[in-house]
Amino acid sequence: MAAAKKLMSVTRDWRERDVRVVLVALVIAVATVATIALFASQLQRTLVSSASSFLAADRQLEAENGRPVPEAWMQQARELGLETGRMVEFSTMVFGEAGFQLVSVKAVSDEYPLRGDIEVQAGPSATRDLVSRGPVPGEVWVNPRLLRLLELNIGDTLEVGNLRLEISRLLVREPDGGFRLSSLAPRVMMHVDDVSRTGVIQEGSRVEYIYLFAGADDTLEGYYQWLAPQLEPSHEWEGVRDGETFSRSLERAERFLLLGGSLAVLLAAVAVAVASRQYALAQRDTVALLKTLGLSGRGIGMLYLRRLGLWGLAGTLGGLAIALPLFGLLVSLLSQVLERPVDYQLDPAALVPAILTALVSLFAFAYPPVRRLRQVPAMRVLRAQPGETGREAIPDILLAVFAVFGLVWLYAGELVLVVSLLGGLVLLLAVLALLGWGMIAVLRRVRGGGNAWRLALVGLYRHRRASMAQMAVFAMTLMLASTLVLVRSSLLDDWQAQLPENTPNHFLINIAPDAVQDVEAFWAERSAGLDTVYPMVRGRLTGLNGRPVKEAVSKDERINALNRELNLTWMDELPADNRIVSGQWFRPGQTDGVSVEAELAQRLGLELGDILTFTIGSETVSEPVTSIRTVEWDSMKPNFYMAFPPGGGLQNMPATWITSFYLEADQKLALNDFTRRFPTVSVLEVDHIIERIQQIVRQVTQAIEAILALILAAALVVMAAVISATLRDRQREGALLRTLGGQQALLARSTMLEFALLGFFAGTLGVVAAEAAVYALQAGMFQGTFRWHWQVILPIPLLSAGLLALFGRWQLRPVLSVSPMLLLRRLE
Amino acid sequence: MNQITNPGKTDTDPMLRVSNLTHRVNLETDTLTILQGVSLEIKRGESVAIVGRSGSGKTTLLGLLAGLDTPSEGTVELEGAVISQLSEDERAMLRARRVGFVFQSFQLLPALSALENVMLPLELAGMDSPEQRATELLQRVGLAERLAHTPRQLSGGEQQRVAIARAFASDPVVLFADEPTGNLDNRTGQAVSDLLMDLNREQGTTLVMVTHDEHLAARCARQLHIEAGSLTEPLLAQESAD
Repeated sequence: MAAAKKLMSVTRDWRERDVRVVLVALVIAVATVATIALFASQLQRTLVSSASSFLAADRQLEAENGRPVPEAWMQQARELGLETGRMVEFSTMVFGEAGFQLVSVKAVSDEYPLRGDIEVQAGPSATRDLVSRGPVPGEVWVNPRLLRLLELNIGDTLEVGNLRLEISRLLVREPDGGFRLSSLAPRVMMHVDDVSRTGVIQEGSRVEYIYLFAGADDTLEGYYQWLAPQLEPSHEWEGVRDGETFSRSLERAERFLLLGGSLAVLLAAVAVAVASRQYALAQRDTVALLKTLGLSGRGIGMLYLRRLGLWGLAGTLGGLAIALPLFGLLVSLLSQVLERPVDYQLDPAALVPAILTALVSLFAFAYPPVRRLRQVPAMRVLRAQPGETGREAIPDILLAVFAVFGLVWLYAGELVLVVSLLGGLVLLLAVLALLGWGMIAVLRRVRGGGNAWRLALVGLYRHRRASMAQMAVFAMTLMLASTLVLVRSSLLDDWQAQLPENTPNHFLINIAPDAVQDVEAFWAERSAGLDTVYPMVRGRLTGLNGRPVKEAVSKDERINALNRELNLTWMDELPADNRIVSGQWFRPGQTDGVSVEAELAQRLGLELGDILTFTIGSETVSEPVTSIRTVEWDSMKPNFYMAFPPGGGLQNMPATWITSFYLEADQKLALNDFTRRFPTVSVLEVDHIIERIQQIVRQVTQAIEAILALILAAALVVMAAVISATLRDRQREGALLRTLGGQQALLARSTMLEFALLGFFAGTLGVVAAEAAVYALQAGMFQGTFRWHWQVILPIPLLSAGLLALFGRWQLRPVLSVSPMLLLRRLE
Repeated sequence: MNQITNPGKTDTDPMLRVSNLTHRVNLETDTLTILQGVSLEIKRGESVAIVGRSGSGKTTLLGLLAGLDTPSEGTVELEGAVISQLSEDERAMLRARRVGFVFQSFQLLPALSALENVMLPLELAGMDSPEQRATELLQRVGLAERLAHTPRQLSGGEQQRVAIARAFASDPVVLFADEPTGNLDNRTGQAVSDLLMDLNREQGTTLVMVTHDEHLAARCARQLHIEAGSLTEPLLAQESAD
């Protein structure tokens, strides 16, 4: 191989330690970012498909007006290539051997469910099975509780209207076990083709037609664009992200993954920057020689540029070679957690950030020090020249910082994230500069001596430049890693807090005003305490400041709340989890005004004092907005967009009462007694929904932890890279100290102490900067509440001290195990 | 190009002409004058030793003569071209075609074999079959058996012989040597200086050498004594060893 060619070969470069570090950093960067991006995209699909199964489709169209939608609408969807299905939901009396019962019927077409599975049992004690289609015509699946209520068995017949259907299975869980206040328990599922023969649905029956759609996002969006102008107020188009219960969890998980990916980019950039600077320093002699032998500055530039290109290629290929199997592993873990197979889908677009990371790391971080090699004076071959002061690198550093934050912005699409991290880093560097100044002032006074502490302090002072640089990198690495740990814990805490133990898992709806006390007494006897019982009046928001509301608000907004009846209530006390953001809650005795949920108020552009008009049955009520409040939609308690004061606008309106409560699984049979005693009260069982949410939270948690482990591994590599950057100098110094009579044990102790001190300072700084970044992130991105994280603040400095002490001891290993003479010669 | 190589020059024109050369370096607080008003001429084919104490300015003078650095004042002409006025890249081109170097610390690239180290300047000069020429040179310096060895696998004397082979590889008209035996023991140093002088004579190269080694200095046709940055009266010209 020709000599010049060999100078440019990656295999030759691989023999140089600094190049190995650059390449390893690149490989890790590409591997981490690619794995995260691939996995995030996979997780996204899995989450969406899990969440889609809450609709049993990707989108639903509900017609609440009791009339089916025109067949042309479905025809259009099918022509666009969408999968479609339909359901009819209604309430009716069913008859069995032992009596009759009001049930909520869901009649489904063959295609149901388009997403998710139905969980069924062949008998009360049989195992649970997942099936992907509903009952065939002539059969019916029923809720186990109905079987007991009507004293029926599998194989018996159930009369639904004029039709006798065979009970073939028990319905344990439906994928769209929807959270609909109008639905009535218990559930019966039948085939949609049987509905007309039951004769149950008559003109004016309260029935809901629901249409299911599944397909590619853009096709769905295209279809919606076509459909939207034809929709009537009673039509409601629902997507996964509209589901109030899950969208927040999903959004946060996505953001967390993006944060993780962004931090991986930053860590990689730091590693590449450190290693390539070391590399460039080590290359100065070679460059001086090549110049002496006649290579021009341009030739040198080209030589190293080509090299960087080769590294980029090698790093990207190596990173992908690691990322792909790792991704496979994560996907199989995910499918274990979910206890179902997950489609292994390789999204080529997910590789773009990885390749961009490699390019930016190389050209924003590795190239500047390498480019400056052109300026190495040829005279260096004859005599050492003054080294770089670091000042000439400042414009490069600024450029690199902008490049990498630009990348993070591009990658995560969150200005808040970029600004928080940048702010954290600036704070960190400012404190670091202050600390460095203080440290040098203090350490200058320490004189050498025979004990390990003194030697360690003198060592820190002697290596102050390297120490400060290393501390900056360690602190940055620790900051990024701790930010992730902190955000992860608060994210998980938040999720857990969202659905604590004893979260209400049943709703009681339609309680007649005079039955409220009896219902409360019934459950009190069974020691299942009810939450607050609220009155509920169904009504539409029809006017705003005297104009029809749909004219008064912006046409661009798709506001479901305007398309359906809202649950209105009156209450004297603000629910504990609601918060007033503007105006004042009702004073005792106040009877005018209405309190509006904040998000709806914002979308409608409501302000305090605006007059809202509601149509309730044939009546209308107008009240001024007196307060705007936030509502915890995820709380599984009755929540209301509109609240009136007691004795206010809803005074004489027909109301039923609603409440929620927690029922232990083994107490479920009590529901049978309850429905017998209060046949008009509807029981809504949401325990399965809660179970599903908890399952999603578990799965996201697992993914987050896998990614966290990856990033922490990357952080460790960065630290190892930084430490090994000064390996040679430290080994030479150690060998010299031993030659001059330093004892092995003393040398080992003082080195470990020196690194432990470095680690402690860096850990403290990193964790403080991380808290600052988390504070900003919490406020701006995750909408969580900030708390100090003592459980992280205290151990991280200690952990980092211990870790660095071990690193220090490890790099001193050859110094202690080999004779000083041999070592000095080897280091020549 | 013509300006750089000046092929029109005759053999009687000096190879190197230095006029009133002064070199200063700026320190943090003041300016240090390393060379002061040096003027000299070196003829084609002549061998010259620059001698003087440590810190007297020898190496700086060598660097300026070779175009590795540019002087604060004064001019350096190589074959009639004022190299102190050439750009860095022009000087690099000049070095690639006309100049060879031997260093005290050998300056071999550790990752390349002996053969590849010698091939490097030939490749940089764009030669077609550098391998043959490099092999011949290594045979000439007695390292025919060590072609594939890396510097780490060679002794100091062997490394310097590789460096000498590399220095002569591109047929330089002038060879600059900085303490070529400074890192070697007496016997090895003797062998290396024999080789250097022999090759120099064979190739008809002009040799400019900085050395502390009196014996080696004595083998040069002329010795320039430098003290505190100025040339003192040259010692009496001696006959070179040949």
